[in-house]
Parts: sequence; structure tokens; C-alpha cells
Amino acid sequence: MAMVDAGGIRLHVQRMAPAGGGTPGGTVVLVHGLLTDSLASYYFTVAPAFAAAGLDVVMYDLRGHGRSERPPLGYTLEHNIDDLTALLDRLGVTGPVHLVGNSYGGTIAFGYAVRRPERVATLTLVESEPATPAWARKLGGILHRVVTQLACNERDAIAWITAHRGHNTARLAKGAARLARETSLGRDIPASRVHTEAEIAAVRCPVLGIYGGDSDLADLVPLHEARLPDFRSVVLPGHEHSVLVEAPGAVGGHVLDLIRAGAGVVR
Amino acid sequence: MNPPAIPTQPAPDAVLADITGMLREVLAEYGDDDTAIGMSTTFNRDLELESIDLVTLAGMLEERYGGRVNLAEFLAGMDFEEIIELTVGRLVEYVVWSLRSAQAG
Repeated sequence: MAMVDAGGIRLHVQRMAPAGGGTPGGTVVLVHGLLTDSLASYYFTVAPAFAAAGLDVVMYDLRGHGRSERPPLGYTLEHNIDDLTALLDRLGVTGPVHLVGNSYGGTIAFGYAVRRPERVATLTLVESEPATPAWARKLGGILHRVVTQLACNERDAIAWITAHRGHNTARLAKGAARLARETSLGRDIPASRVHTEAEIAAVRCPVLGIYGGDSDLADLVPLHEARLPDFRSVVLPGHEHSVLVEAPGAVGGHVLDLIRAGAGVVR
Repeated sequence: MNPPAIPTQPAPDAVLADITGMLREVLAEYGDDDTAIGMSTTFNRDLELESIDLVTLAGMLEERYGGRVNLAEFLAGMDFEEIIELTVGRLVEYVVWSLRSAQAG
């Protein structure tokens, strides 16, 4: 396990080297989602295929998540973008990277592209969207429910989740409750600075949106098409928000298609 | 103390002992030192391991056996339900198979 100091915070990083040990055909950086998520959602799904395709794969746990350090404060989107910026600097990854973000991880990846457009070759948003006022309101509602219904009333909430969603989901929910109780995450994320429409439209790299057909986020495709200069999307029927772990073969294949279309050097 | 050398013909019992030791180390972080571990033990329900714990286990397996035992590739070939049902025995079989394949190759 590699812990990396990313500007004052210790983050858990995992890398997979390109298969065959040759010169990588690019670097892909994978950013996971909120609360119940960690880099494991990539490690055991799409990451091995990316390494086999000749890419240098970088995964990390967001602050507060997985094996990374959990400070009590500092959970706005800007903190997450700062962490990603510092981490890539620290790892010496300076060339344009292929960024993939799942759910909130995509919002972080998009924020990085707004801040450092010259450092992003392609951007894939899996079940995700840029930070806008509407996004902040939605996340505020979700996190308010997590804090009031789960973190503050954990025993009853976990009993209900165990009965209706099963043992595994209940254990994930316990972890989410702990994170919400121990940190300012629930307050900080909805209070994050969001992007202006001009900042969003200035992200000119190829952007791929991947959505579950049964997810509300698929409804945002026309909006993304209208506001982003170079956007394409894939909707995978029969899936909801967990499309990355449910359909990793399809998700990974579409990401590689996007990367190959631009670079032409990936095996 | 150094771990014992990897035997030329890896026996399932020896691999089970190795993996049990690794799991004890992971579980110790949760203050758990008495859960029984055997071939039919499941990672998810019995040991209550989270997927990030399996990333730690992947690192331990690579350290012990080298790159020929690749837990990421092994699990990436499974669907979500298979991973939930994964047993220690199935991992032991995979490790034994990987080590023998590496020797044959």
C-alpha cells in the first residue's frame, strides 16, 4: 500500500503498470465516488483492462475514504480538486491525462479540467455531472438525508436497510454514516463553489458521459450536449447508478474507445 | 522472521495457511482476532471485509507470491454476485493454479 503526501494530506494510491512493461500509451487517472466508494471500485473492475491496454493506471482514495487520511474538516469540491492536483504533481504525472470519474468523482475530474485544461486529454463522466447550482442543491438534499436519517439515527436506519436492501448494503451504509458523523463532508460539499456556464463551456477536451438507462442522470444528456463543445454519451440499458461495478466490461470498453480515438497509440 | 520459502509444488494446505495469516493481519485492524477462517469462509458475509480490504490483500498476495498471483485480474473476471459469494477456498484454488501455471510456463 502506498501512502502519498499530497500537499499536507496522506492519500492511499494504487498504480497498475502497463502490461509488458513497455512505454505507457498514456496515463489514466480514476476518481471514485462519495461515502460508500473507494478505489476498489476500479481496482477490481476496469483497471486491469486499462493496464492490459498499455495504459499507466493511477487510482487513489479520496480524503476521508478508503485507506486515505480522514481529517475532520475540509471536504468541499475545491479540497478534492486541490488533492488531485497535488497528487499528480507529487507523482510526477505532468502530461495530459485521461481522467475517469464515477459519480462525485466525475464532478471532481470535471473541476480539475476547468482548473487545468492543458493537463486533461480526455474526460469520462460515469453517472456524473459538473458542479452547478442544481447539482449543489441535489447533493445537499441527499447529504441532508444521510446525516439526519442515517448518521443521527443509525440503529433504526441500519435495521431497515438490512431488512430491505440486504447485509452488504447495510455494511456500506454504516461506513457512510461514520464518515458523515466524523467529518464536515455533509455540510461542505453542498457549500462548494460551483462552475459558471462559461467555465463549463471552456472544457474543450473530448468528454464521454456513461449513464445507466434507469438513472435520472441519463436525462441530463441533452443539457451536456448543448453546453459542452465535444461531448458524446453512452446509455447502458438495465442499469442504474452503479453501472461501473455492474457493467465494467462495457464501461471500460467505451473509455478505451475514447482514448484510442484521440491518441492512436494505445494497443 | 522471513516467511517460509514458496514450495516447488504448492500445496493447498500451505496456501490456506499463508492466506489465513494475511487475513488475520487485515482483520486485526478491525480488532477482530477470533473469527474462524477455513476453505468455506466467505470474505463478505463471514469476514465482513470491504472491497478496499481486498485491495490490501491483493498487495499482500503479490508480495508473497509475485506478480503471477494477480487478485485484481482474478476478481475483474467475475460478476458482482460472484465476488460477494467469494470463499477463501476459491482464492486458495486460484493461487495454487497460478503458481503451478507459472512453473509449467
